[in-house]
Amino acid sequence: MTMVKLPAATAPARPAATSRTRRGRADRKPRILIAVTALFFALLYLPIAVVALYSFNSKKSLTVFGGFSLRWYRAFAHDDVIIASLGTSLRISLVATAGSVVLGVALALGLVRCRTRLGSLAGLVMLVPLITPEIVTGVASMLLFKGLGIALSTGTVMLAEITFSISYVTVILRSRVAALNPEVEEAAMDLGATRWQAVRLVTLPALLPAVLASAVLIFALVFDDFVLAYFTTGVDPQPLSVRIYSAIRFGVQPTINAVGTLMLAGSIALIALALFIPRLFGRRGGLDILSGE
Amino acid sequence: MDATTPAVRLDGVSKQFGDSYAVHHLDLDIDAGHFFSLLGPSGCGKTTSLRMIGGFTDPTEGSVVLSGEDVTGRPPNRRNVNTVFQSYALFDHLSVTDNVGFGLKRKGVAKAEIRQRVGEMLELVQLDGLADRRPRTLSGGQRQRVALARALVNRPAVLLLDEPLAALDLKLRRQMQVELKQIQREVGITFVFVTHDQDEALTMSDRIAVMNEGRIEQCGTPEDIYEHPASRFVASFMGTSNLMSGTYRDGEVALEQGPALPVGTRSGISDGTAVSVSVRPEKIWLSDFEPGMSKLRGQLRETVYSGPTTTYLIELAPGVTLSVLEQNTDRARMEDRWSGGETVEFGWRPEHCLVLA
Amino acid sequence: MALLRHSSRTRKDTSGNRMWVWLMLPGTLWMTGFLIASLALVAVLAVGTTDELGNPRFGFDLSGVRALADPAYTEVLARSLGYALLTCAICLLIAYPVAYTIALHGGRYKNALIAAIVVPFFANYLVRMYGWSVVLSDDGPVLRALRAIGLADSNTKILNTGVGVVAGLVYGFVVFMIIPLYAALERLDVSLVEAGRDLYGGPFRTFFFVTLPATRQGAAAGLVLVFLPAMGDFVSAQLMGGPDQIMIGNLIQDKFFQGQNWPLGSALTMLLMLVLLVGMFGYLRRTRKDEAEVRR
Repeated sequence: MTMVKLPAATAPARPAATSRTRRGRADRKPRILIAVTALFFALLYLPIAVVALYSFNSKKSLTVFGGFSLRWYRAFAHDDVIIASLGTSLRISLVATAGSVVLGVALALGLVRCRTRLGSLAGLVMLVPLITPEIVTGVASMLLFKGLGIALSTGTVMLAEITFSISYVTVILRSRVAALNPEVEEAAMDLGATRWQAVRLVTLPALLPAVLASAVLIFALVFDDFVLAYFTTGVDPQPLSVRIYSAIRFGVQPTINAVGTLMLAGSIALIALALFIPRLFGRRGGLDILSGE
Repeated sequence: MDATTPAVRLDGVSKQFGDSYAVHHLDLDIDAGHFFSLLGPSGCGKTTSLRMIGGFTDPTEGSVVLSGEDVTGRPPNRRNVNTVFQSYALFDHLSVTDNVGFGLKRKGVAKAEIRQRVGEMLELVQLDGLADRRPRTLSGGQRQRVALARALVNRPAVLLLDEPLAALDLKLRRQMQVELKQIQREVGITFVFVTHDQDEALTMSDRIAVMNEGRIEQCGTPEDIYEHPASRFVASFMGTSNLMSGTYRDGEVALEQGPALPVGTRSGISDGTAVSVSVRPEKIWLSDFEPGMSKLRGQLRETVYSGPTTTYLIELAPGVTLSVLEQNTDRARMEDRWSGGETVEFGWRPEHCLVLA
Repeated sequence: MALLRHSSRTRKDTSGNRMWVWLMLPGTLWMTGFLIASLALVAVLAVGTTDELGNPRFGFDLSGVRALADPAYTEVLARSLGYALLTCAICLLIAYPVAYTIALHGGRYKNALIAAIVVPFFANYLVRMYGWSVVLSDDGPVLRALRAIGLADSNTKILNTGVGVVAGLVYGFVVFMIIPLYAALERLDVSLVEAGRDLYGGPFRTFFFVTLPATRQGAAAGLVLVFLPAMGDFVSAQLMGGPDQIMIGNLIQDKFFQGQNWPLGSALTMLLMLVLLVGMFGYLRRTRKDEAEVRR
């Protein structure tokens, strides 16, 4: 990591350090802190690197690297069960993203603009999934489907994922809606648009970057989600993360390294894209997509 | 609609928020073709009044009548008025052309006509070179013109402008004031202009309504408002006015501190009434008096040079300081005649001394 | 007149709000219906029974709830609490220096560095945990490195121990501590730190009297955000721990999948929710007190 080099590069004798005397000692780089941070980054990426590295291993071992090979990727490509699971996961993610984005955007608009008791109630309900651990939502969803006599299937996973993704979409978009200039909507109405046309023609286009970013993020989160899918999925074909869970529970399977590497690469790309989307529209992009602030 | 029907009539209009009135029983007629300004400090109800004309806020009482038609409760998209917002409220995802054409498109105007009218309008506001740009890439002044064009292109009966120049720097603001007035004359549309800047209102308006605490204090031509303020508030809001409090008796006002000022006999004010006296700084003379002027003496305290004019602060009595404005013409300036602390004589024509009950 | 005015105002409010209500309604109904119905079912089933086919049956049977008092379960609950709290503490110790370094010394790489932390954390949890278990395995790089510098011998293990479980939980959730801390530190006014230097002198005193109090709310939020998922996690205990390190999440999973004792599983879920609600309540009370202090 480049971080490790920083302390040496900022030796106190540098003239640049003296030119910044106004901030004085606050500017001196604390070596210990930087070392801790570097170690943190190393440990953060080590597991990912190990999975990626051994996915190219020619041997079956997880500790001895026998040479570069694509055999596990080939094995994955020929594993019909895993391919079927991949299809299931993609379908679930698409449906859940579409459903939760539509419902979540509408909810965010309503929550910000509607100052009624219903609005504050909806605001509270929306927070529940965010503070409930996944195992509880998983158990609860499963019981609901069983209680209603609905057989667990890909469809039930979709329904459950929509429910718990609405909150994320709403949290991400709520602050964006609140930051919109309400005069812009009024201007549209002033120019002849009805209230709904104003939302459609002006508000939604203004929110488009945030909507797209949240859609990409939700797609990645749903695709990667395991707990909720685990509790609400039927027998066949199970979503990919459930399949991976069963596989890693019952011993080492190098194919999983290949699948895992592909999944990590895919979701890292998607999440990076979600962070980057606002910049494509010339807005300040950033982590507020993830934190909702 | 005949020529005497006002373009806008507010008939006993009130807007209440909770227990407090933002606008209190407002009666107001705005003549067609006028440049009309609603002037007042922030919170005086001028923007709320404008929003009620535009349809963004519904009055709690009274009715809004546009060109003889009662539009109270009707949404903005069904009123023949357009607004230039303080924030401009441009559509950032649309080009300048599409911003300006938005209203016409909503009305279902044919594409060719939209293109033609938008082109003409962009020419009028001198934006023809920027038609394909996004609003975000324009300067403040350019954005302001887009907002103006976007509203005017619809040929509304009334154009509402909510402090449209507030975000511009002083020089650009001066320039836009002149341009806005020219455009208004050219298109002949009634402008209702909200501002807190008295200079702006005086420069541009045919008529001004000065508002305070939800009520209209005075409505008249700029000259009326400036030369003959009807109340203490209007006098003090419109420029420097040298307000002095005192008691009226026998054609004189005895100041609380200091001498009695001769003001002439005023009908309608009975003896013993507490009044304010106001003389505009530029109406006070420092030499070459005319016969019949009221003349007083005071001590020169301060001289403030500001280019074309110089302001002198003269202490009439302890606690009563008048400000006097002189053009910096070729003739001898006062500090060449007197130095600080000296006693000077000054005076004014009796008709320039206002007595406000 | 007063009556008329009132009615005209109500008309205005509803017409202005109606579209927003309609927009809000589907999502709200969906979530309320789903959440309330499902959580209520958990509560009901905690006192219910199951038929021979494993389908839930409603009834009033306290055996599930009563079973919670069994020492086997209380021990698991205590262990879960202990692990989750330990995870919170370790996350705070790790996240603070990292967030502090990035926020105050990250310069123009600040955003990139935080993104480099956040992005992989939102990537597949299972694969990351699996990779982490490989890293911590007996032949993995961590133990090898520790052995090389003499901090471990050939018998030292991380996997299948409590250390492994906590390490898994920390790896899984430390980002939830970093984000709020980073946000708080980023907001921290540099002039405040400078003022602190004038008032208190040394960097350590400044840190304790200025920086730390200013970031207390961020730390509190981080603690809750880590505690919630750590308390309910069952993957870490499964991959990193052995049968002796199971947590309440593993018990719940077991009761629903292997043991097919749904009432007991539901009762355990309710117990978990109860613990978390107590934690949340404590957090809310704490922040409210903090806010009150700030206002004063």
